[in-house]
Amino acid sequence: MTFISIEFLLFFAIIVFTYYLIPHRLRWILLLVASYVFYAILSIQFIPLLLASTVFTFFTGIMIEKQETRKQKKKVMLVGISVLLFFLGWFKYFNFVNDSLRAIAKYMDWNYTVPYQEIVLPLAISFYTFQAVSYLVDIFNGKQKAERHYGYFSIYFAFFPQLVAGPIERAKKLLPQFKVEQNLNYENLNYGMKRIAWGFFKKTLIADRLAPIVSSVFDSPNPTGSQIVLATILFSIQLFADFSACSDIAIGCARMLGINLTENFKQPHFAVSISDFWSRWHITLSTWLRDYIFIPLCKGKKKRSEIYLAIVITFLVSGIWHGAAWNFILWGLIHGFYRVFGDYTKHFRGKTASFIQLDKSPVLHKWVKITITFLLVCFSRVFFRSDSVTHAFENAQLFLTFNSWRPSGIVKAFEIFSLLDLVIFIFFFIIVQIFQYIERKHVSTWEWLSQRSIFARFAFYILIIVSVLIFGVSGNGFVYGGF
Amino acid sequence: MGRLFIKLTIIITVVLLLFMPVNNFVKHSHDYNIDHSILAFKKHPYPVDIINLGTSHSMYAYYFKPTGLSHLDLALPAQTIQYDFKLLREYGKNLKPDGVVIISISQLTFANSEAKQVGNYYKVLDRTEIEPFRPIDYYSYLYLPGSNSGIFNSALSGKLKTFKWNSHQPWANNGKNYSGRKYEKVAAQYKEAVENNNIERNVKQLREMLDYCSEKGYQVILTMEPVHQSYQEYFNEEVMNRLVFQYLKALELDVPFLNYMSDQRFEENRDYFIDPDHLNSEGRKMFSWIVYKDLKKLGYL
Repeated sequence: MTFISIEFLLFFAIIVFTYYLIPHRLRWILLLVASYVFYAILSIQFIPLLLASTVFTFFTGIMIEKQETRKQKKKVMLVGISVLLFFLGWFKYFNFVNDSLRAIAKYMDWNYTVPYQEIVLPLAISFYTFQAVSYLVDIFNGKQKAERHYGYFSIYFAFFPQLVAGPIERAKKLLPQFKVEQNLNYENLNYGMKRIAWGFFKKTLIADRLAPIVSSVFDSPNPTGSQIVLATILFSIQLFADFSACSDIAIGCARMLGINLTENFKQPHFAVSISDFWSRWHITLSTWLRDYIFIPLCKGKKKRSEIYLAIVITFLVSGIWHGAAWNFILWGLIHGFYRVFGDYTKHFRGKTASFIQLDKSPVLHKWVKITITFLLVCFSRVFFRSDSVTHAFENAQLFLTFNSWRPSGIVKAFEIFSLLDLVIFIFFFIIVQIFQYIERKHVSTWEWLSQRSIFARFAFYILIIVSVLIFGVSGNGFVYGGF
Repeated sequence: MGRLFIKLTIIITVVLLLFMPVNNFVKHSHDYNIDHSILAFKKHPYPVDIINLGTSHSMYAYYFKPTGLSHLDLALPAQTIQYDFKLLREYGKNLKPDGVVIISISQLTFANSEAKQVGNYYKVLDRTEIEPFRPIDYYSYLYLPGSNSGIFNSALSGKLKTFKWNSHQPWANNGKNYSGRKYEKVAAQYKEAVENNNIERNVKQLREMLDYCSEKGYQVILTMEPVHQSYQEYFNEEVMNRLVFQYLKALELDVPFLNYMSDQRFEENRDYFIDPDHLNSEGRKMFSWIVYKDLKKLGYL
């Protein structure tokens, strides 16, 4: 049962109905059972790990709080984080490290005998581990009190709308919301349903329609340069549609239960710089990395070079978090380099813009910056999408080849679509762009829509549902569900 | 809350009203009704001289009416050996005592992993035979096929046959583009099948099916249908050996294998094909006569 299924919608409808039917004091039980059932359906073998991590974090949090000195608190916190990271490291990174050491040993002609292990990655481990780490650090820093109600804490750990692919929430935001009695609210139900429908729209009409087309190029033994360029741009669109759809559904589901989750995206492909991009893309991960990696690393550092090193390390962690493979590490480092280079050349770039009088036309200047940022992000995603480092470098070389960008070549590359698929994709892509355009001009498209006539509103809702029903493609999980 | 209920009711009603013609369109499409001849046979069965199994290559290859034989075509697109066997078990009882079962072998035969169009079997087989059987898929396929994007796309593509890039037309570049794309698809499928041990499973299934035929006293031949020269350039002897022949050889079968894949009567003549690997009605008639005569020579029928 994935988000994109009738089974999930039925399951969720039952949960919502029961949630508002039972008294508040019993609701945590319902949410907990629903969360574990949801997780068990997706990955029953890792329920014990989820339970163990929950119990461990729960008691570690209390222990941190009970310590008298800051030094003692720090010790307990570090032990707690180490254990959590050990779980994550064992399941997610063991084979990566093992394979890397084996390759080094082979190169150096050393004897290396640790065998390959068949380890399956537990679902959502990266997400709930990061939530757990933030919880322990926040208790240590006095920003969060250790939760004494095991039930509420377990829901924070396994809340089913956001368990699989975020948003990565902080305890201080989520826990109080579980404790407050949520009344049946028309606005919440209305908004939640719209967000879920929009998530279905993006996932089934953009992301999953693009997935096989992008794969046909990246899995091809000899793609042309123009195909790589087009497929990489399409992959960026796919990834955004996929991940933001997952967040939309998570936020919509939670809202229907009266819970507000953090927004994870703010139109990242319209960012004007890499730093701006990271304040719009996977916001909850970016802020997590900022608060728990970057800021501690910068503590007491004043030199520019030290700050830059902290930036690179933060992005390296981001890359490692995304996947246990060298291409993800390279992807992280590329973004670290972008970020450092962007900061270092900020003054120079500003001067250049003045020199060529680009700053006299703010709109053009903005769009130049958006285009450059988007292309830089796309280039990094060649590494994100490629199966191996070797393929990543081959594809990156093709991406950077001047000939790959010839308009005639790009037009020809569109033949990776069937003509019918292309027409369908363009139609729905335009709808998403109009939606985003309205969002850029106003605070919320939904609010803007609510001020339109009833016919316009209903036409839009009906378009979403009919399109998903008829043209929607499903079958693939969420890309970030694999992390 | 009443307001929300009324709104939802209106939206759902309009959605249903808009959806109904789409659903009807799909229900009447050729692709959705691809099993219609098997279904008609299921309703009014009769003894048959010949049954053919296999994928779309086989489905487009046989038309025995002019030869005077009664024939049941059990081939469906991308059919796996598993479903060949299921269909044979279900309909084999209608084979006359001296009847023949044609088991078509194609490039896909051993690389096919699971029935991708499992819906094709919902009406022609008992639901206990469907693997995996998912009630939601089953009922939505039967009653709401318009909600299945794959079937809707097929239905729409069927109506818009000419709506293709020039280079995507079946005979563009003398069929080489089509054959090249098909080769890549089969190669990827084969790779996946090797990684997932599906080949061994398919080989085993073929053996079981042949044992079943022997047990039931069915006369069996294996065939490989003709393809255009452009197709043979990609699926040459070496490739076919890797995809098919090595496994057939290892099985050491004692049934005749009629390989028409590079038959000179067809390979250079586009007029016999819809596309490089499927015969058209003219090709079908001619090929069926050839098979009929060869079967006679072998002492069948």
